[in-house]
Amino acid sequence: MILNSLRMAVLACFLIFAGGMARAADITVFGAASLTDALEDVARAYVAKGGVPLRFSFASSSTLARQIEAGAPGQIFASADEKWMDYLAARDLIVPSSRVTFLGNALVLIAPAESTQEPLEITSALDLAALLGPDGRLSVGDPEHVPAGRYAWEALTALGLWGKVEDRLARGDNVRAALALVERGETPLGIVYSTDARQSKGVKIVGTFPADSYTPVSYPFAILKGQDNAEVQRAFDFLTGPEARKIYESHGFSLK
Amino acid sequence: MSLLSPAEIEALLLSLKISSVAVACSLPFAIAAAYLLARARFPGKTLVDVFLHLPLILPPVVMGYLLLVTFGTRGPIGAWLLDTFGVRLIFSWQGAALAAGIVTFPFQMRAIRLSLEAIDNGLMVAAETLGAGPLDRFFTLILPLALPGIIAGAITAFAASLGEFGAIITFVSNIPGETRTIPLAIYTAIQTPGGEAAAARLVMLAIILALGGLFLSELAARRLKTVLEG
Amino acid sequence: MLDVDIGLTLGTFRLDASFGMDGPGVMALFGPSGSGKTTTAHAIAGLVRPERGHVTIGGERLFDKSAGIDIAARRRRIGYVFQDARLFPHLSVRRNLLFGWQRAGRPLSGNQIDDVIGLLGLQHLLDRRPGKLSGGEKQRVAIGRALLAAPRLLLLDEPLTALDAPRRDEILRYLERLRDELRLPMVYITHSLDEVARLADNIAVFHQGRVVAHGSIYDILARSDLFPLTGRGEAGAVIPARVVVHRPSEGVTLLDFGGGMITAPLMAAEIGSRVRVRVRARDILLSRVEIADDISANNVLPVVITGLREDADGVEVSLDCGGSALVARVTPHSRERLGLAPGQRVFAIFKTVTIDRREGPAG
Repeated sequence: MILNSLRMAVLACFLIFAGGMARAADITVFGAASLTDALEDVARAYVAKGGVPLRFSFASSSTLARQIEAGAPGQIFASADEKWMDYLAARDLIVPSSRVTFLGNALVLIAPAESTQEPLEITSALDLAALLGPDGRLSVGDPEHVPAGRYAWEALTALGLWGKVEDRLARGDNVRAALALVERGETPLGIVYSTDARQSKGVKIVGTFPADSYTPVSYPFAILKGQDNAEVQRAFDFLTGPEARKIYESHGFSLK
Repeated sequence: MSLLSPAEIEALLLSLKISSVAVACSLPFAIAAAYLLARARFPGKTLVDVFLHLPLILPPVVMGYLLLVTFGTRGPIGAWLLDTFGVRLIFSWQGAALAAGIVTFPFQMRAIRLSLEAIDNGLMVAAETLGAGPLDRFFTLILPLALPGIIAGAITAFAASLGEFGAIITFVSNIPGETRTIPLAIYTAIQTPGGEAAAARLVMLAIILALGGLFLSELAARRLKTVLEG
Repeated sequence: MLDVDIGLTLGTFRLDASFGMDGPGVMALFGPSGSGKTTTAHAIAGLVRPERGHVTIGGERLFDKSAGIDIAARRRRIGYVFQDARLFPHLSVRRNLLFGWQRAGRPLSGNQIDDVIGLLGLQHLLDRRPGKLSGGEKQRVAIGRALLAAPRLLLLDEPLTALDAPRRDEILRYLERLRDELRLPMVYITHSLDEVARLADNIAVFHQGRVVAHGSIYDILARSDLFPLTGRGEAGAVIPARVVVHRPSEGVTLLDFGGGMITAPLMAAEIGSRVRVRVRARDILLSRVEIADDISANNVLPVVITGLREDADGVEVSLDCGGSALVARVTPHSRERLGLAPGQRVFAIFKTVTIDRREGPAG
């Protein structure tokens, strides 16, 4: 009698989960955090044109790559640097022929909106430590794995500023987390993409990093291995197509 | 030859420091709260009881966020701390200790309360007839008799705060040497390509610490029981 | 010495108790469970506040409702010995003993402390923990703990109830020693008439929250109207008597009680010392003629009938024996047969005598 109820319960759970899995016919896009607002706009445009709804998972490209490697279910990956896409390619987890890079971004120095920090020029002469004050920190994505953090590290190193701020960092798990710290006024300065700074009312850009101080930011898009059916292809084509590109541009991304 | 890299040793020492401070600082509050709930009667007691148990039920990230909103430099208490004492809890190990202390507070409180409730009230009455006032009774009778519960609670809380992740990373971020405890170090290692070996070492460390803590807790509880009952 | 007159309500229970005693001695609070004895003790100790009345010990008012006096329990200096001893489990016997002493301002000197410890036979227990003590040992420690705080009154709440018979006897003997050697006023709660007869000088009889009678035990226990409360089967008068001579070869001791001589079983008591004699009503036979020599009972006393009272169990006959009160129980049939009436001279015959404790040395 009890065994019977138990079987019913297990069956019920199974059905619920299966029902959930059935909805996995939706298309899931793993997107770098900095693409959050832009991709959501593109998805809305896609639906308006009669396309299927897209589900997103936004996080640091590092986190997403790890998840995909661990078997997280999804169809498309949009990374914030080539390195993490290479990581998946090396493990044969993407469809190589689908890989395309067409977006870029710029690295900026930001401060809380109400900060008294004046706009400045970012050169190797910049006394960043002094600008942070006695106990202020510099908010960045974690340079160990977050693309925005790595770009920041590249730029600071190229300008000879890394040594002085290395132990003054507040490392976020993704670029939006780094942005949030500055928005909240917990840190006097932060390094994020210009697109992030633009869409936030809580911060202002006080400086732009010289383009030659870091590897150009690029956003490779690719279809994940074994996911390239017609539906996914259609969505992918839209995400990387002309209409989408206009939307990315309107958000401040540069087109390559 | 050392088994752990400097970063891992740093995480270990930081974990021990933060957990010790967390438990030690929340202990007086846990005793006070346990005493209140065990022996006092007042309107709204159930509400207070539920409220004090919240850290047990709320997701740690929610706790971390609430701490951020309250103790962050723009939060009501955080701003006051900054202006009055120049103290900033965010990005600091003290903030991590605060987070760990609050999240594990219910563990201590519950263990102590059980201990207090087990104390025979007749002993209190006897002590009163022998000339002992409330404070006297508290220190000479209640505290010693509740000691097994206090220690068990402290060790449980210590072990639990060693593992605290969500509240710490949300409130004080992940600063090596300041807030990167073992769980945060494991998390970072997993994110970093090639960090699997470090992650594995740290996980082993965490397991050893947890087992050690539980073992000590059992030992202490048993020892005390015999000591108290002669 | 002790003057208690209180009234209070606890839930549906109403207590109105009034009793007292003039000098040092043992006041027994006697009655069945739930009759208010412990509540009264709590009121004396200050653990519960009466609604009306006063509690005065040694002339000092500890509680007086109308004067707004209510001294806190911990300042009343009343040594309370609980039924379950209540020793502090985490402290050694020594530290238990000194607990009240420390808080009373260390009133006893080292020698005095040793005396009390010796009196109660606790010397070899000092380093033990309460968990390792027997029931009797725990009670002795509890008594010692109360005493070392130099209380103005010792209050014992059924201290023997939780003990088995041999332990009870052991503690009773210690209590007798306490009473005789320390001259400390004691309030002793019990539902055992035996303990009352052995230990107490005064008694307050409790019944459903009221003190029905109080006074010296010689008077109260002989009152037949109280027998329903003072224990029918065990009821009987208590007479103070003095040891006159021992006859070991005959196995008897002769006692003089003023109204004549009583033959009691041989006892260990000094010549001239005072003892108490308790004779159960049901053990006394009445005879219209003196049959001294031809019966085995050794006690044949001339008495005068002072009253007769019929109840459910028979007839209680109050007797006066040369100034001392005795009570006998006979059947209504016997009363008819013998034609018993007040004022009659008859003989009281009894063979068993319950000997209680001594009151003090000769004199």
